[in-house]
Amino acid sequence: MNGKFSFRSCATADIFAMLARWLLGAVFLYLGLNKALHPVEFLKLMRQYDMVQGSLSLNLIAATLPWFETFCGLLLLAGIAVRGTALMLILMLIPLTALVLRRALAIESAQAIPFCMVKFDCGCGNGEVFICRKLLENFLFIVLSGWLLAGRGRKLCFRHTLSQVKPDRS
Amino acid sequence: MAAILTEALVVLVVGLALALAANQVSPRGLALTRNYFPAGNGQPAASASGLGIRRGATNSPALSPAELLAVRLKEQGLQLVDRLTAAQLFRNSRSRQGRIVFIDARDETHYREGHIPGAYEFDPYHPDKYFPTALPPCQAAEQIVVYCHGGDCDDSESAAFLLRDVGIATNKLFVYDGGITEWTTNGLPVETGEQNSGKLSPPDK
Repeated sequence: MNGKFSFRSCATADIFAMLARWLLGAVFLYLGLNKALHPVEFLKLMRQYDMVQGSLSLNLIAATLPWFETFCGLLLLAGIAVRGTALMLILMLIPLTALVLRRALAIESAQAIPFCMVKFDCGCGNGEVFICRKLLENFLFIVLSGWLLAGRGRKLCFRHTLSQVKPDRS
Repeated sequence: MAAILTEALVVLVVGLALALAANQVSPRGLALTRNYFPAGNGQPAASASGLGIRRGATNSPALSPAELLAVRLKEQGLQLVDRLTAAQLFRNSRSRQGRIVFIDARDETHYREGHIPGAYEFDPYHPDKYFPTALPPCQAAEQIVVYCHGGDCDDSESAAFLLRDVGIATNKLFVYDGGITEWTTNGLPVETGEQNSGKLSPPDK
C-alpha cells in the first residue's frame, strides 16, 4: 500500500512540476517578448533604477535581458537544460526583486503611502503593478525555479540535462 | 552540483550570444554604443530623493516633474515654455512662415494619433530616421518648440539636446513641458495622421 501511495504521490508531484515548468516557461516567454518588442520603453524603465553608470552598460542590459528571458522561457517550455535554466532564473530573480523592492521603498518613503499601495511600472513586462503583488509573484517564481532546480519536472522534457550521465559499469 | 553549474553557464553564454544577435537583427533593436539620454543616465542633480522616483510612479513625487525639468533645462542653457506661450507661438503668423517650428518628440504611433498641427515628427530614440526631415526646418527657424507627452516625460528634453548637438543654437530651443496632454485637455487643435494631413480635431474654423 505504502509503495503504491508513494508512487502515486511521486507521479502527481511530477505532473505538478511539469505544469510548473510550463507555467514558468510561458511567463518568462511572455514577459521577455513584451520587453524585447518594446526595447526603448524597457530602456527608459531600466534607467530609473540607477543600476549602472554609462550608456553602454545600460544599453547592454536593456538589449539582452528581455531576449535572455525569452530564451530561458523557451528552454523551460521545451524541457532543455531545465536545472541550469532554473538556476539562472533564481540568479536573475533575486537581485531584480531586490532592486524592485529598493525602488518601492524609496517611493513609499517619498510619498508617505502604505507599502502595498505603491504602484509603478517596474519594467517587469506587465505594466504598472502593486508592489506587494509583484513581490509575491517573484517569490512564487523563485520557489518554482527552486523546485525545478531540485530535479523535478522531468516529464515531457526534450533534454532535461545537457550532459549525458554515463552508466556506471563497475 | 558541478554539472548544474556548468549547465547554467552554458545557458548563460548561449543565451547572451543569442540575445545580442536578436537585438542586432531586430528592427527595434537598441544601438549599444548610442547615448539615448543626452541629459544623463542617472538622476538629475536636482532630484528630490535621488532614489529614482522621477518617472513612472503613479503618485506625484515631492518635486514636480515640471520643476525638475526646469532645473535640468536651466543647467543646459535651454528654456521652458508654458501652454499660453506655446499656444501664442502656434497662432503667431511666423509659425505659418516656418520661422516658428514645433517638434513632436514622441514615437510614430503617438504622433499619428494626434500632434500639434504642422509639428515635425522627431523620435529622439531613432534620430537618424528623422534628422533628414526635421533638421532643415529647424535650421531655418527662429524659434523651435519641442514637446512630448508632458508630465514626467523627458523625451522633449532629449530631442532638444540632440538638436543642440547637431548645431541648433540653444537660444532657439524651447521645451513645452505640458506636452500634448496639456495641449489637448485645453481644447487646442490637434492634427491626426501625417504632418499637414489637414485632419484637425477640433475642426479648424
